[in-house]
Amino acid sequence: MSGDGECPRGDLLTQALAGERAAFAALVRRHQRVVYSLALRMLADRHAAEDLAQEVFLQLYRHLSAVSSEAHLAFWLRKVTMHRAIDRLRRTPRYESATLEEAAEAASETAQADPLLERRLRGLVAELPPAARAVVLLRYQEDLDPVEIARTLKMPLNTVKSHLKRSLAQLRERLPKTADALT
Amino acid sequence: MSEDLEPQEDLERRLRSALGAVDPGEGFAPRVMARIAAEPVPPPRAARAGAVVSWLAFGLAASGVLAVLLAHEWQVRRLEQGREARRQLIEALKVTDEKLNLAYRVVNTREGAAPPEHSGA
Amino acid sequence: MKVSSSRWRWLLAPLAALAASVALARPPAMLNLPDFDALAAKATESVNISLDPALLGLAAGFLDSSNPEDAAAKELIGGLKGIYVRSYTFGEDFAYPSAQVDLVRKQLTAPGWQRLVEVNSTRDHTHVDIYVSVDRGVANGLAIIASEPREFTIVNIVGSIDLAKLHRLEGKFGIPKLDLPDGKDGKPDK
Repeated sequence: MSGDGECPRGDLLTQALAGERAAFAALVRRHQRVVYSLALRMLADRHAAEDLAQEVFLQLYRHLSAVSSEAHLAFWLRKVTMHRAIDRLRRTPRYESATLEEAAEAASETAQADPLLERRLRGLVAELPPAARAVVLLRYQEDLDPVEIARTLKMPLNTVKSHLKRSLAQLRERLPKTADALT
Repeated sequence: MSEDLEPQEDLERRLRSALGAVDPGEGFAPRVMARIAAEPVPPPRAARAGAVVSWLAFGLAASGVLAVLLAHEWQVRRLEQGREARRQLIEALKVTDEKLNLAYRVVNTREGAAPPEHSGA
Repeated sequence: MKVSSSRWRWLLAPLAALAASVALARPPAMLNLPDFDALAAKATESVNISLDPALLGLAAGFLDSSNPEDAAAKELIGGLKGIYVRSYTFGEDFAYPSAQVDLVRKQLTAPGWQRLVEVNSTRDHTHVDIYVSVDRGVANGLAIIASEPREFTIVNIVGSIDLAKLHRLEGKFGIPKLDLPDGKDGKPDK
């Protein structure tokens, strides 16, 4: 296979399991956006996010035999990323405005209809408590439904729904009604 | 509450747009692989040498492990209970906050608040 | 018969006292919340939290002081003896009978309870009552009853509440500034 991960999905995992580092590198490239984005939105710090994302893949390398399929891999990566991020936040919470600015600045690659408002929204998400933030990210970045979020975070379904409801209410409360209010 | 549907959908749409994925860049995968190469990480499927197991030692170890597991089980249960209690506490305070906020919002939209009343005491 | 009734009359006073003492085993600021199981079955979401002193103590042990949210919670629950929340959300307007909510409101007309705020929005069909239980000038309980078209919530906090600390939570949980009664613990500090 070529070193840039052009092999079919199932084969990449099989080859990585067989010890082929090039295949593992291709898996990293395939999944790095999701892992890094979740880490960045959770930790609101690029360096910490890079560090955490690297650790997640390192852990994956050590425990690759526990992964049974590509779908399971995606679930595993989200789960480990979120749990590590929440643990890290609990040890060293990041509520300083400087790091919130970083989170606000990390624009997504999708077109921004209202860049100022979306920047503010990212900042507000970064201010949510860790568990609520995790739920919001999995819902609106990863498009998971509440049942999948509950599985990923090992959280009761009602708790997930509660976090979503309250977080949206808080965000709506704190978001300016118009972009003018941001200037 | 139906009047909130549109703002809700609008907020969710904005969230999806604002929280789109961010790529860490071209150098990320090489940095991960460099870290894997640098650390003494065992390969994904470590070979198992043909270990010789003493059944007596295994039995002793198993009973010791059982005792440790039971103690661990109790501790894990206690941890779960504590975390659940903490979660419920935070949830209760959030609900309290939400309803106080609700009162505040209604007061500030000039719908009017009845003055404080003193009963009993 | 007259003799019989007068014979047993001497028991009436101690029985009444006994009944009163049993009733008083419940802290004065603790409401007797009805059984809402039937409502919970109809609700799309329900929150049912009962944290007595033991559970509050357990929860406090798991609060992380380095986390601002946890630190704020720890500061607030120091003097508390219980937090009870019943909150139900429904799929359609006014699916909950007001009779059950009124049962709780009735308890708040008892001596000791003072209504702090009553707000009513006819536009949103929302009604919120906030009560404080005061004993010798010290607040020892808080009750909030919020009725919205698709949700009703009862919060009962038991114990000595530092209203100044509640005020200081503004920003942490978004608690607004309340017009608090003057009192030993009632003045919000700046």
